[in-house]
Amino acid sequence: MSNLKRPGMPMDQESRLGTSSEVEFAYLQARTRRHFLRNLGGGLGALFLGTMASKLVPSAKAAAAETVALDFSRDARAPLSPLPPQFPAKARRVIYLHMAGAPSQLELFEYKPELKKFDGQDCPASFLAGKRFAFISGVPKLLGSQYPFHQTGQSGQWMSDRLPHIEKQVDDICFIRSMRTDQFNHAPAQLLVQTGNPRLGYASFGSWVVYGLGTENQNLPGFIVLLSGGKNPDGGKQLWSSGFLPSVYQGVQCRSHGEPVLYLDNPEGVTRSLRRRMLDTIDDINQQTYGSFGNPETVTRIAQYEMAFRMQMDATDAMDIRKEPALVHELYGSKPGEASFANNCLVARRLAERGVRFIQLYHWGWDSHGADAKEALNLGFNDRCREIDQPTAALLADLKSRGLLEDTLVVWGGEFGRTPMRENRGGQVMKYVGRDHNPGAFTIWLAGGGVKSGSSYGETDDMGYEIVKDPVEIRDLHATMLYLLGFDHHRLNYRFQGLEQKLTSVKPARVVAELLA
Amino acid sequence: MNPSESIVEGHGGPSAKTPDRGSPFQFRYALVLLVPILVATALVALRPPDGNERANWLQFIGHFHPLLVHFPIALFLLVPILEVAGRSSRFTSLRLSVNFVLAIGTIAAAAAALFGWCLGRSGGYSGALITQHMWGGIALSIVCWVCWMMRLRSREVSAPYTIVLTLGVALVAWTGYRGGQLSLGPSHLTEHMPDGLRNLLGVEATRLASGPSADPNTFYGAQIQPIFTARCINCHGPDKRKANLRLDSYRALMRGGKNGPVIRSGNVQTSDLFRRITLPASHDDFMPKGKQPLSPDQVKAIELWIAGGASSTLAANAIKITPSGSSAPAEVKFEEIDPAAVARLRSAIAPTVTQLQRQFPNILNYDSRGTANLQLNASILGSNFGDRELEAFAPIADHIVVADLSRTAVTDHSAAAIAAMKHLQVLRLVDTRLTDATLFRLDTLSQLESLDVYGTHITPAALPTIAKLPKLSHLYAGRTGILPGRSVPEGLTGKLIF
Repeated sequence: MSNLKRPGMPMDQESRLGTSSEVEFAYLQARTRRHFLRNLGGGLGALFLGTMASKLVPSAKAAAAETVALDFSRDARAPLSPLPPQFPAKARRVIYLHMAGAPSQLELFEYKPELKKFDGQDCPASFLAGKRFAFISGVPKLLGSQYPFHQTGQSGQWMSDRLPHIEKQVDDICFIRSMRTDQFNHAPAQLLVQTGNPRLGYASFGSWVVYGLGTENQNLPGFIVLLSGGKNPDGGKQLWSSGFLPSVYQGVQCRSHGEPVLYLDNPEGVTRSLRRRMLDTIDDINQQTYGSFGNPETVTRIAQYEMAFRMQMDATDAMDIRKEPALVHELYGSKPGEASFANNCLVARRLAERGVRFIQLYHWGWDSHGADAKEALNLGFNDRCREIDQPTAALLADLKSRGLLEDTLVVWGGEFGRTPMRENRGGQVMKYVGRDHNPGAFTIWLAGGGVKSGSSYGETDDMGYEIVKDPVEIRDLHATMLYLLGFDHHRLNYRFQGLEQKLTSVKPARVVAELLA
Repeated sequence: MNPSESIVEGHGGPSAKTPDRGSPFQFRYALVLLVPILVATALVALRPPDGNERANWLQFIGHFHPLLVHFPIALFLLVPILEVAGRSSRFTSLRLSVNFVLAIGTIAAAAAALFGWCLGRSGGYSGALITQHMWGGIALSIVCWVCWMMRLRSREVSAPYTIVLTLGVALVAWTGYRGGQLSLGPSHLTEHMPDGLRNLLGVEATRLASGPSADPNTFYGAQIQPIFTARCINCHGPDKRKANLRLDSYRALMRGGKNGPVIRSGNVQTSDLFRRITLPASHDDFMPKGKQPLSPDQVKAIELWIAGGASSTLAANAIKITPSGSSAPAEVKFEEIDPAAVARLRSAIAPTVTQLQRQFPNILNYDSRGTANLQLNASILGSNFGDRELEAFAPIADHIVVADLSRTAVTDHSAAAIAAMKHLQVLRLVDTRLTDATLFRLDTLSQLESLDVYGTHITPAALPTIAKLPKLSHLYAGRTGILPGRSVPEGLTGKLIF
């Protein structure tokens, strides 16, 4: 690839006086010493005010004096090249298992015997005052857990009987039982979890991480997204958008069967060398465009064409789980050719091995309102548990035995919790058992890279409705994860709209030190 | 319009036409000046300080009072000096300035009184001290004005004038002393008086807390009152009782302040005192205002005392206080990176690192922005990375802390190169052709914490060497010749992961 020309004045215009230069020349000739002296006075005043301003405005002073911005600039041709983290990091990559639809913590991790006692009774008015629900209306009944709980593992943590495989890995898991969000609908809540903001247009966690750390394997995207469960998450592709960050950092959605990335393969009749020649030509044109306009998005486009070309070989190989031995498929319960969570977990491990920085899995179908059999706690919920239990456990075990869990941060969780009340859509008793959305409390768990394994943090009340101890906001979780990845969350910045944008946004976020190993 | 000028002209000018008495013109000024004095009097009488804090503007203006009071004090004390000195024939001319000094003294006294009222009214003061000081100030400005009047009427020093002037000097001393007590503490003059002099003058020793001191055998006396005495009674004491609250005795404490009781026995959460001392320091209601918060142990003691019934008679040992320890949430500190220090740290290896980064893009990097430690991840290159390539890293081997050679083509020929990475903490050799021969030579890796030989031909023969690595905590030995369940050398128990 030839060197990029920076935008600027073309050579031929510099050599002779153009019209604009003549005007400038005339202007300069008309300037007198008086002009100079007058400007000098005003200029000194302005200089003085300039220095005073930073003292008068405390925030400006603090920003100027205390922090030196971290430099994330790179060679324009290699926007994904790796950069060291701010501090030595415990985690070098992330596998995020997002259970889209919000699984019920009360059927999986939150043991609430008191709630069971009140099963079927009217919900107390204090639970309903000032609360908004997606569907609950009138006075709902309390609903005890549908499944039995028991203590498990060396750490003796409570879990239900729905996740028998994950249960075996419980001593590697760090539960946060006191997660809290302020969004009670799926799309904004998912956006909050993934981008730190419930509105569109913000950079996703994966984009921030790849922006901050780059990726070692330049033949694969640094941020890969894999979907399963039959439906895209409600937040859509915005969940892996790069927002205001250069679009080269956005997540690349891959498929676990067929072509890993749509239209990656060469069309029939096009050889790899023909493709190369074509790309070189496009490259030339794009570089001329960049030379004239200097838009960084042009560089992004060049880099993406190049990566697609390299990916034709590597991505196909990384995604091809047929190469795994039968034993591994048995462990994950994966079947080549399907679009399943199990296959995606196996792909996730293969990508982690190949140095992909951020691997995001979504599994849809956890929205257990009980409106139909597929989403009922007593029916469809069991299928979801079966779909994710063995593969998740296999992923943890496999990463661990390969030594990768040591510096891979695994996150499992939804976007909010579910109510201890049974959903009564339209004030009616529904045919199936379900729960409504509860932003007030839910469970997320972490494993691997630097987290305190076999532990629990936070507590909810006896009904599992609200947090009574150590609440963790989404931004706290983000700050903690960034800390594990080697960053002070205040300092992973990108300047946009006059603000040093950051994942944790403007409210104070805390690194939850109690979660760290 | 400038009153002082005309006064000077009227009396001081040698060529003045001047009669014995001041012109009506000057009396008019004197009458105008009476207005602020009367306003200040009315304010002090009708709107006395009541212990409430008020608008910032009032406080802002009020805080100029301590600055302003120096003028009436100095100016008024100058008057008798001028009068006495004027008796000498050498200084006769000085007596001509007395009227002028009295005039600006009156202005200064009136202004100081007005500003003082602002401070007293808005600063949350109440009590006898402030009342005395205020009326003293008002009286002084009136006396000053009267002196001026008398001096305007007659050029000679009359007997009544002398009496009023003497009274004024006494008033300056008394009011000034009261003011000093308000701002510096009630015993600011005698506090550091030497004992000999103290005995001679019969001044009693400095009292720490007024009122009956609490019994040190009670929990209140031993634990609670000392906290209030140390941290609170400067503002909530017998002399300065902000919010009308005194914390210098049990009775005063339980009586409460202007908003009612501050302690509710047995109920910590509704006790206003407890609420305020536990607020964030930036909160408007936080106490002690503008000072360091009470220590966690002090807060805990007050909490336990209130919860235990807030009794004044409870025995000192009835409540056990355990040091609070880590009740506050743990905090993570971020250290600022000093680019110059980092550059120094890296100076020896930087050129080699840059050159290697160019030769092998993306696989070599510093482990953070603040260190000179390196991470090598050759696994990305797979079989394109072999013994020859690894050799290129020899000059910086000492700085590599993480080396991932998984799936590369390195062989046992690289054993020496790996052993030279003396500071390695993590070594990954997954799916490589390395054998025990390499592991035998890794006894140099005294910092190694994690060794990953998953999928290699390592056998149990290598275990004794590995067992000697002092810092090793994890040995990933899945799919090797080492099988789970077999006995392992001492030092490796619990460290093998399959």
